[in-house]
Amino acid sequence: MGLARLRSRHLLHAYLFIAPVVLLFGVFRVVPAVQTLLYSVYKVELLRGRFTFIGLDNFRDLAAEPAFAQAMVNTLVYVAAIVPVSAALGLALAVLFNTRFPLRELFKAVYFAPMVTSTAAAAMVWWWLYNPQFGLFNVLLRLAHLPDQPWLMSSRTALTAIIIFSVWKSLGYNMVIYLAGLQSIPQQFYEAAMIDGAGPIRRFWRISVPLLAPTTTFLVIYNGILAFQVFDQVFVLTGGGPANATNVVVLDLYRQAFERYNFGYAAAEAAVLFALILGITAVQYLYSKRFEVAY
Amino acid sequence: MGRAAGRPLLYLVVAAVAVVMVLPFYWMVVTAVSPASDILAFPPKWIPSRLTLEHFTVAFAKAPWLTYYQNSLVVAVVSVGSSLLFGLFAGYAFAVYRFPLQNVFFLLILSTLMVPVQVTSVALYIMLARIEWVDSYLGILAPNFASAFGVFMIRQGIKAIPLDLVEAARMDGAGEVRIVLTIIAPLIKTTLATVAMILFLGSWNDFLWPVIVINSQELRTLPVGIALFKDPYGSINYGPLMAATVIASGPMLLAYAVSQKFMIRGIALTGLKG
Amino acid sequence: MRRLTGLLAVLAVLCLLPAFASAQAKTTVTLWYPAGDITAGAAHFADKALFAEFEAKHNVKVEAVGLDYDTMQQKIFTAAAGRNIADILFIDNGWAPGFLKEEMLEPVADAKAKAWLAAVSPEIKELSDYGNGRMWGYPQYGIDVYGLTWNKEHFKEAGLDPEKPPRTWAEFREYAKKLTKRDAQGNITRVGYAIRHVGHPHGIVHKHFWALYSAGVRLVDDPLLLRGGKAIINTDGGKAALKLVLDMLDVDKSTSLNFPDPRAAFLKGIASMQISETVSIKARQPKEAPDLKWGMALPPAPKAGDAPVSLLGAWVYSVPKQAKNKALAWQLIEWLNSPEKDYELCRKYDASPRYKVNWDKEPFKSDPYDQALKVMYPAGKKLPINLGFNGVMDAVGGAIQKVWHHEAPIEAALAEAERQANKAIADAAK
Repeated sequence: MGLARLRSRHLLHAYLFIAPVVLLFGVFRVVPAVQTLLYSVYKVELLRGRFTFIGLDNFRDLAAEPAFAQAMVNTLVYVAAIVPVSAALGLALAVLFNTRFPLRELFKAVYFAPMVTSTAAAAMVWWWLYNPQFGLFNVLLRLAHLPDQPWLMSSRTALTAIIIFSVWKSLGYNMVIYLAGLQSIPQQFYEAAMIDGAGPIRRFWRISVPLLAPTTTFLVIYNGILAFQVFDQVFVLTGGGPANATNVVVLDLYRQAFERYNFGYAAAEAAVLFALILGITAVQYLYSKRFEVAY
Repeated sequence: MGRAAGRPLLYLVVAAVAVVMVLPFYWMVVTAVSPASDILAFPPKWIPSRLTLEHFTVAFAKAPWLTYYQNSLVVAVVSVGSSLLFGLFAGYAFAVYRFPLQNVFFLLILSTLMVPVQVTSVALYIMLARIEWVDSYLGILAPNFASAFGVFMIRQGIKAIPLDLVEAARMDGAGEVRIVLTIIAPLIKTTLATVAMILFLGSWNDFLWPVIVINSQELRTLPVGIALFKDPYGSINYGPLMAATVIASGPMLLAYAVSQKFMIRGIALTGLKG
Repeated sequence: MRRLTGLLAVLAVLCLLPAFASAQAKTTVTLWYPAGDITAGAAHFADKALFAEFEAKHNVKVEAVGLDYDTMQQKIFTAAAGRNIADILFIDNGWAPGFLKEEMLEPVADAKAKAWLAAVSPEIKELSDYGNGRMWGYPQYGIDVYGLTWNKEHFKEAGLDPEKPPRTWAEFREYAKKLTKRDAQGNITRVGYAIRHVGHPHGIVHKHFWALYSAGVRLVDDPLLLRGGKAIINTDGGKAALKLVLDMLDVDKSTSLNFPDPRAAFLKGIASMQISETVSIKARQPKEAPDLKWGMALPPAPKAGDAPVSLLGAWVYSVPKQAKNKALAWQLIEWLNSPEKDYELCRKYDASPRYKVNWDKEPFKSDPYDQALKVMYPAGKKLPINLGFNGVMDAVGGAIQKVWHHEAPIEAALAEAERQANKAIADAAK
């Protein structure tokens, strides 16, 4: 079959295959998202139906607001902590659970279990566990003769406490995705390497890790996008405090939108966040194409 | 695999961490079956003095669980089904074909994830209110007919398949749709099962959008129903709340168990390499 | 291929199932209220027969829908934006400034407002009147009154008279010191006074309002002014109010940041005193601490001779502008809040009534709790109604947190709070 005809047939297929997703997303996700982002250059009075164009005023207010700067910093710290940690731990667990050992399925289910509840419900449980007086964690610390921790009560430890919760919550998810990736690496590669005398560590770094690059790319990008928008656990566990120590961008814009009714300002925050996420994601995506190998 | 000496230590670490992982669930389940006096006791009792099902009775009486289950199930099945189907084809297209604006479309799909749903929900709600999809199944499903996560992950999964397979099938005269459904799909069974499970979980636990778009009590989904047991700064209702959470978690454990059946090694490729 | 068609068919069928909201011949009046134990005043919505009489008389159906409290404001706003909202909203009066800023509420008809204000007791009048007899809704019975609650056993143990609460800040600090207990390592096991310092900034301000206001911090210069005005926060009184607790934390060591939920701590016996809504202690104590003997009084004032201050709060029946059945909505609200219904429901749900005539009837006349409340009411103030008030609360709550968490000195925190508050007021006035 001629190459040109092949290509044009495939063009048709390509666009046809992506059409449902693009159309559905286009209408129900892209349009609302674009509208929301456009709100950022208006003074928005949604209920009166009045939109006053104010150019970059909202962004100027943003830049001058120390609370927003802190929210950005907190968010960046959160992302920088959780994405590599949960990916690395997820990979470690997946490799572990890829081997045979007694009660493996039980343990796998236990590590996966946190995913089963919603973030908000789990966070409610952890609010109780983090209680300095009678929460389970401090009770255990006391049993081990270690000092009590303030956990969510102190601006020094609150963000860390939230990060710990998020790691717990997302471990199983990362593990399961890495496992799926590992399962699709054919056994023969490992067998061939073993014949060549490679030990388990060598096999891990030379075979598993490179062949898992697509999975790693996916996890880093996807988890990154979600981590930038962390909300549920912060809302439930600390409400952004104490003293803005755990205020994150989405929580800040949520308050601005639904308590202060500054929808334009909130949209400006969303726009800044969007630009940041898009930039980082685009860079990661284009960079990652270099690492995708096939044997 | 692995030296014998390191194994028991590793096992111990895994077991210890597993205990920590399970602690919150332990608390949840224990609270659901502890009598109210134990829950309110101070210092709290970590081992219940006796087991009781009174919270389950209260929880069952207080809410129409069957309705919640039904609604959650309809929404989950439809959204997961359509997301898988559309995601399979879209993922294939992005993984296999080269076409103009490919990266643009892909980033566009990804970019829908980058604007917080808290604010886009308002614009979406206004749009749906105009076409009267609010307070209906269609309303809940509207943003969930497809999934960027699904497209992305399936794309990655298909990328791992050698193109020779696809070429061979084409030479045999198979149409593209046929290839996707009969050749590609079985090869990425594990990926599809994982995507299905995670999408199911996401839909089952989705709270914000159903809260916003549903007004009628008959259309409530499980997370919305459970939230009504909440009492932020009180401790009175923890028993029924935990019972409610336990009740809602059942199907998800089932979803997990089912998906684990699909975890098989990819040995289908041996034929080609030989 | 067949499986695909099958799937598509199922999808089509399911999508054609329209909204389950029934197509009834009768009009339905919908009412939204917060589900759970958020407020005792919402308890009666669970009674299916509550509206029976009204439904029969007007041949309508009344549907009371419980909503998740945490997302309630978001849902109300979104629904209003989509012009698809309930006919009656049962809302926290603290949300009113935000709603008024967006012009979301219908005002109460002047004649009805006048009648109501004349017939209800003074504290209800205080809560209902938004200036010049303007009303935006009807406050629910069983209003929140902030008061000091103390553990009588702990007082006795510490050598204090269990019937005499502290009346000045100096006494307050002294009592708290005496009531604090420590273990062998010196860790506090019981605080003399539990403070609310985490969670939503508005809540933090509510729980410390008594100190701020009685020290002269009015938060805004004119509490009944909707637009404009100035924030009054960074005064000597404000500094003193914040310093009171800061000293209790650092100098007296009679309180701690590790007892985050004052009411729970009080009920569990690990806090001897706390200041918050008395009605919630009254509701929770029988279940959570049946043996607790507690007292209730107005919070202490800065010095002898100063006036103590309490904060009043209420949940309010209001009608949004985008409601579809406004006339019916108002009729329902008026029916539910008539003197007869007030008496009936307050008796049934053990709450304090609103009408002057009902206060003269039993059981309210002799009930010790209600009569104790009556003594406290005159010192009650409601929060200012400035349209930018949410921003003022955010600012003040943030300042309080920063100071008590040792993140900023008092002067700087209050100055920053005043700046932010003025900005919020100005933004809302535009």
